[in-house]
Amino acid sequence: MKILFRTLVILTVFVALSGAMIMAVNASGANAPDFDGEPRFRPDGGEEFRPPEGGEFRPERGDGDRDGRIAPRWMFGLIKNVGVIAVLVTAIAWPRSLAKKRKKQAV
Amino acid sequence: MSTEIIKTTSSQTKTKLWLDVALFVAFLVTMDPHSSGLAIHEWLSLSVIAVMTIHLLLSWDWITEITRRFLGKLGSLNRTNYILNWLLFIDGTLIMVSGVMISEVALPYLGFELPLGFAWRRLHDMSANIGLLLLGVHTALHWNWIVNTFSKYLFQPVTRMFTSKTKKDASV
Repeated sequence: MKILFRTLVILTVFVALSGAMIMAVNASGANAPDFDGEPRFRPDGGEEFRPPEGGEFRPERGDGDRDGRIAPRWMFGLIKNVGVIAVLVTAIAWPRSLAKKRKKQAV
Repeated sequence: MSTEIIKTTSSQTKTKLWLDVALFVAFLVTMDPHSSGLAIHEWLSLSVIAVMTIHLLLSWDWITEITRRFLGKLGSLNRTNYILNWLLFIDGTLIMVSGVMISEVALPYLGFELPLGFAWRRLHDMSANIGLLLLGVHTALHWNWIVNTFSKYLFQPVTRMFTSKTKKDASV
Protein backbone atom coordinates (compact mmCIF):
# COMPACT_ATOMS: atom_id res chain seq x y z
CA MET A 1 0.00 0.00 0.00
CA LYS A 2 2.85 2.32 0.95
CA ILE A 3 4.68 1.57 -2.30
CA LEU A 4 1.52 2.07 -4.33
CA PHE A 5 0.96 5.47 -2.73
CA ARG A 6 4.56 6.52 -3.35
CA THR A 7 4.36 5.34 -6.97
CA LEU A 8 1.19 7.36 -7.42
CA VAL A 9 2.89 10.45 -5.98
CA ILE A 10 5.84 10.08 -8.40
CA LEU A 11 3.55 9.52 -11.39
CA THR A 12 1.28 12.41 -10.38
CA VAL A 13 4.26 14.80 -10.26
CA PHE A 14 5.41 13.41 -13.62
CA VAL A 15 1.97 13.90 -15.21
CA ALA A 16 1.56 17.38 -13.70
CA LEU A 17 4.96 18.45 -15.05
CA SER A 18 4.15 16.93 -18.44
CA GLY A 19 0.84 18.80 -18.58
CA ALA A 20 2.53 22.07 -17.66
CA MET A 21 5.14 21.54 -20.39
CA ILE A 22 2.53 20.76 -23.06
CA MET A 23 0.50 23.81 -22.03
CA ALA A 24 3.59 26.03 -22.08
CA VAL A 25 4.65 24.89 -25.55
CA ASN A 26 1.13 25.24 -26.96
CA ALA A 27 0.63 28.64 -25.33
CA SER A 28 3.94 29.94 -26.69
CA GLY A 29 2.81 29.07 -30.21
CA ALA A 30 6.20 27.58 -30.97
CA ASN A 31 4.59 24.41 -32.19
CA ALA A 32 2.03 26.06 -34.47
CA PRO A 33 1.97 24.69 -38.03
CA ASP A 34 2.53 26.88 -41.08
CA PHE A 35 -0.30 28.57 -42.98
CA ASP A 36 -0.79 25.47 -45.13
CA GLY A 37 -1.33 23.37 -42.06
CA GLU A 38 1.96 21.50 -42.34
CA PRO A 39 4.98 22.05 -40.13
CA ARG A 40 7.86 23.41 -42.22
CA PHE A 41 10.49 21.25 -40.66
CA ARG A 42 10.61 17.58 -41.55
CA PRO A 43 12.73 15.72 -39.03
CA ASP A 44 15.14 13.14 -40.35
CA GLY A 45 13.22 9.92 -40.55
CA GLY A 46 9.97 11.85 -40.34
CA GLU A 47 9.04 10.68 -43.79
CA GLU A 48 9.47 7.17 -44.99
CA PHE A 49 12.44 6.86 -47.32
CA ARG A 50 11.61 5.81 -50.84
CA PRO A 51 14.32 5.07 -53.39
CA PRO A 52 14.06 7.00 -56.66
CA GLU A 53 12.04 5.23 -59.32
CA GLY A 54 14.17 2.72 -61.12
CA GLY A 55 16.96 3.46 -58.72
CA GLU A 56 18.69 0.90 -56.64
CA PHE A 57 18.08 0.98 -52.90
CA ARG A 58 21.25 0.57 -50.94
CA PRO A 59 20.68 0.46 -47.21
CA GLU A 60 23.10 2.38 -45.04
CA ARG A 61 25.75 0.18 -43.57
CA GLY A 62 26.52 0.49 -39.91
CA ASP A 63 30.03 -0.91 -40.08
CA GLY A 64 31.84 1.77 -41.99
CA ASP A 65 31.53 4.89 -44.06
CA ARG A 66 32.39 6.13 -47.54
CA ASP A 67 36.06 6.53 -46.69
CA GLY A 68 36.29 2.86 -45.92
CA ARG A 69 36.94 3.36 -42.24
CA ILE A 70 35.71 0.39 -40.27
CA ALA A 71 34.88 2.06 -36.99
CA PRO A 72 31.13 1.57 -36.39
CA ARG A 73 29.06 4.73 -36.28
CA TRP A 74 27.57 3.95 -32.90
CA MET A 75 31.03 3.88 -31.38
CA PHE A 76 31.57 7.59 -32.01
CA GLY A 77 28.30 8.50 -30.27
CA LEU A 78 29.03 6.21 -27.36
CA ILE A 79 32.58 7.50 -26.90
CA LYS A 80 31.33 11.10 -27.12
CA ASN A 81 28.64 10.57 -24.48
CA VAL A 82 30.83 8.55 -22.12
CA GLY A 83 33.59 11.14 -22.67
CA VAL A 84 31.34 14.02 -21.61
CA ILE A 85 30.37 12.15 -18.43
CA ALA A 86 34.00 11.15 -17.75
CA VAL A 87 35.19 14.75 -18.10
CA LEU A 88 32.52 15.96 -15.68
CA VAL A 89 33.29 13.18 -13.19
CA THR A 90 37.01 13.96 -13.33
CA ALA A 91 36.43 17.70 -13.05
CA ILE A 92 34.13 17.37 -10.03
CA ALA A 93 35.04 14.16 -8.18
CA TRP A 94 38.82 14.42 -8.42
CA PRO A 95 39.22 17.87 -6.76
CA ARG A 96 36.73 16.77 -4.10
CA SER A 97 38.70 13.64 -3.24
CA LEU A 98 41.96 15.65 -3.24
CA ALA A 99 40.45 18.18 -0.85
CA LYS A 100 39.26 15.35 1.40
CA LYS A 101 42.74 13.79 1.46
CA ARG A 102 44.32 17.16 2.33
CA LYS A 103 41.80 17.63 5.14
CA LYS A 104 42.63 14.19 6.52
CA GLN A 105 46.35 14.88 6.34
CA ALA A 106 45.91 18.19 8.10
CA VAL A 107 44.13 16.43 10.99
CA MET B 1 23.38 8.66 -2.51
CA SER B 2 21.82 8.67 0.90
CA THR B 3 24.56 7.23 3.07
CA GLU B 4 25.04 10.46 4.98
CA ILE B 5 21.47 10.74 6.20
CA ILE B 6 19.59 7.52 5.54
CA LYS B 7 20.98 4.06 6.19
CA THR B 8 19.95 1.55 3.54
CA THR B 9 20.01 -2.21 3.77
CA SER B 10 22.53 -4.28 1.86
CA SER B 11 19.94 -5.75 -0.52
CA GLN B 12 18.53 -2.27 -1.20
CA THR B 13 21.99 -0.98 -2.03
CA LYS B 14 22.64 -3.94 -4.35
CA THR B 15 19.30 -3.42 -6.12
CA LYS B 16 20.05 0.28 -6.44
CA LEU B 17 23.48 -0.42 -7.89
CA TRP B 18 22.26 -2.78 -10.63
CA LEU B 19 19.28 -0.58 -11.35
CA ASP B 20 21.56 2.43 -11.76
CA VAL B 21 23.88 0.45 -14.04
CA ALA B 22 20.85 -0.55 -16.15
CA LEU B 23 19.65 3.08 -16.25
CA PHE B 24 23.09 4.31 -17.26
CA VAL B 25 23.39 1.77 -20.09
CA ALA B 26 19.82 2.49 -21.23
CA PHE B 27 20.59 6.22 -21.27
CA LEU B 28 23.70 5.68 -23.40
CA VAL B 29 21.79 3.46 -25.85
CA THR B 30 18.86 5.86 -26.15
CA MET B 31 21.17 8.84 -26.59
CA ASP B 32 22.09 7.54 -30.05
CA PRO B 33 18.85 6.71 -31.89
CA HIS B 34 20.58 6.65 -35.30
CA SER B 35 22.60 3.64 -34.21
CA SER B 36 20.11 1.77 -32.05
CA GLY B 37 17.18 2.35 -34.37
CA LEU B 38 14.04 4.31 -33.66
CA ALA B 39 12.06 1.32 -32.34
CA ILE B 40 14.65 0.43 -29.68
CA HIS B 41 15.12 4.14 -28.88
CA GLU B 42 11.42 4.71 -28.23
CA TRP B 43 10.47 1.47 -26.44
CA LEU B 44 13.58 1.51 -24.27
CA SER B 45 12.94 5.14 -23.33
CA LEU B 46 9.36 4.36 -22.34
CA SER B 47 10.49 1.42 -20.22
CA VAL B 48 12.94 3.75 -18.46
CA ILE B 49 9.90 5.45 -16.83
CA ALA B 50 9.27 2.25 -14.85
CA VAL B 51 12.94 1.82 -13.89
CA MET B 52 13.16 5.49 -12.95
CA THR B 53 10.10 5.11 -10.69
CA ILE B 54 11.76 2.17 -8.88
CA HIS B 55 14.97 4.25 -8.59
CA LEU B 56 12.98 7.04 -6.92
CA LEU B 57 11.11 4.57 -4.68
CA LEU B 58 14.42 3.18 -3.43
CA SER B 59 15.55 6.72 -2.60
CA TRP B 60 12.20 7.73 -1.12
CA ASP B 61 13.40 8.10 2.48
CA TRP B 62 16.24 10.39 1.37
CA ILE B 63 13.87 12.48 -0.77
CA THR B 64 11.30 12.97 2.01
CA GLU B 65 13.99 13.66 4.62
CA ILE B 66 15.72 16.32 2.50
CA THR B 67 12.39 17.87 1.44
CA ARG B 68 11.51 18.26 5.11
CA ARG B 69 14.89 19.73 6.02
CA PHE B 70 15.53 21.73 2.85
CA LEU B 71 14.66 25.13 4.29
CA GLY B 72 16.30 24.37 7.61
CA LYS B 73 19.76 23.15 8.53
CA LEU B 74 21.20 21.03 5.73
CA GLY B 75 24.66 20.29 4.36
CA SER B 76 25.63 21.94 1.09
CA LEU B 77 26.25 18.59 -0.64
CA ASN B 78 22.75 17.32 0.18
CA ARG B 79 21.22 20.62 -0.88
CA THR B 80 23.12 20.58 -4.18
CA ASN B 81 22.17 16.95 -4.76
CA TYR B 82 18.53 17.68 -4.05
CA ILE B 83 18.37 20.61 -6.49
CA LEU B 84 20.29 18.66 -9.12
CA ASN B 85 17.95 15.66 -8.75
CA TRP B 86 14.92 17.89 -9.26
CA LEU B 87 16.53 19.39 -12.38
CA LEU B 88 17.23 15.87 -13.61
CA PHE B 89 13.61 14.87 -12.97
CA ILE B 90 12.25 17.94 -14.79
CA ASP B 91 14.65 17.42 -17.69
CA GLY B 92 13.81 13.69 -17.81
CA THR B 93 10.11 14.57 -17.95
CA LEU B 94 10.78 17.01 -20.80
CA ILE B 95 12.75 14.33 -22.68
CA MET B 96 9.86 11.88 -22.25
CA VAL B 97 7.08 14.33 -23.14
CA SER B 98 8.85 15.73 -26.19
CA GLY B 99 9.80 12.19 -27.22
CA VAL B 100 6.18 11.07 -27.00
CA MET B 101 5.07 14.12 -29.02
CA ILE B 102 7.45 13.27 -31.89
CA SER B 103 7.10 9.47 -31.59
CA GLU B 104 7.13 7.68 -34.93
CA VAL B 105 7.07 4.06 -33.76
CA ALA B 106 5.67 3.51 -30.25
CA LEU B 107 2.69 5.87 -30.33
CA PRO B 108 1.50 4.93 -33.84
CA TYR B 109 1.82 1.28 -32.76
CA LEU B 110 -0.47 2.02 -29.80
CA GLY B 111 -2.94 3.71 -32.16
CA PHE B 112 -2.09 7.36 -31.49
CA GLU B 113 -1.19 9.74 -34.31
CA LEU B 114 0.16 13.15 -33.30
CA PRO B 115 0.99 15.99 -35.70
CA LEU B 116 4.70 16.55 -36.28
CA GLY B 117 6.04 19.27 -34.06
CA PHE B 118 9.08 21.36 -34.86
CA ALA B 119 9.27 22.79 -31.34
CA TRP B 120 9.02 19.36 -29.71
CA ARG B 121 11.84 18.03 -31.88
CA ARG B 122 14.10 20.91 -30.84
CA LEU B 123 13.08 20.57 -27.19
CA HIS B 124 13.80 16.83 -27.34
CA ASP B 125 17.33 17.36 -28.67
CA MET B 126 18.04 20.20 -26.27
CA SER B 127 16.73 18.39 -23.18
CA ALA B 128 18.66 15.24 -24.11
CA ASN B 129 21.91 17.23 -24.30
CA ILE B 130 21.17 18.95 -20.99
CA GLY B 131 20.30 15.53 -19.56
CA LEU B 132 23.73 14.22 -20.51
CA LEU B 133 25.40 17.08 -18.64
CA LEU B 134 23.14 16.68 -15.61
CA LEU B 135 23.78 12.92 -15.57
CA GLY B 136 27.51 13.64 -15.64
CA VAL B 137 27.25 15.95 -12.63
CA HIS B 138 24.91 13.46 -10.87
CA THR B 139 27.45 10.67 -11.45
CA ALA B 140 30.30 12.88 -10.25
CA LEU B 141 28.50 13.83 -7.03
CA HIS B 142 27.83 10.16 -6.29
CA TRP B 143 31.24 8.94 -7.41
CA ASN B 144 32.34 7.85 -3.93
CA TRP B 145 29.15 5.83 -3.49
CA ILE B 146 29.63 4.23 -6.93
CA VAL B 147 33.27 3.30 -6.24
CA ASN B 148 32.54 1.99 -2.72
CA THR B 149 29.47 -0.02 -3.76
CA PHE B 150 31.17 -1.51 -6.82
CA SER B 151 34.13 -2.42 -4.65
CA LYS B 152 31.96 -3.96 -1.93
CA TYR B 153 29.52 -5.90 -4.09
CA LEU B 154 31.52 -6.68 -7.21
CA PHE B 155 35.30 -6.37 -6.94
CA GLN B 156 35.78 -7.69 -3.40
CA PRO B 157 33.56 -10.81 -3.87
CA VAL B 158 35.33 -11.61 -7.17
CA THR B 159 38.77 -11.16 -5.57
CA ARG B 160 37.69 -13.27 -2.59
CA MET B 161 36.45 -15.98 -4.95
CA PHE B 162 39.82 -16.14 -6.71
CA THR B 163 41.90 -16.03 -3.53
CA SER B 164 39.85 -18.82 -1.90
CA LYS B 165 40.24 -20.86 -5.07
CA THR B 166 44.03 -20.47 -5.07
CA LYS B 167 44.12 -21.33 -1.36
CA LYS B 168 42.12 -24.50 -2.06
CA ASP B 169 44.44 -25.40 -4.95
CA ALA B 170 47.48 -24.83 -2.74
CA SER B 171 46.10 -27.03 0.04
CA VAL B 172 45.41 -29.88 -2.47
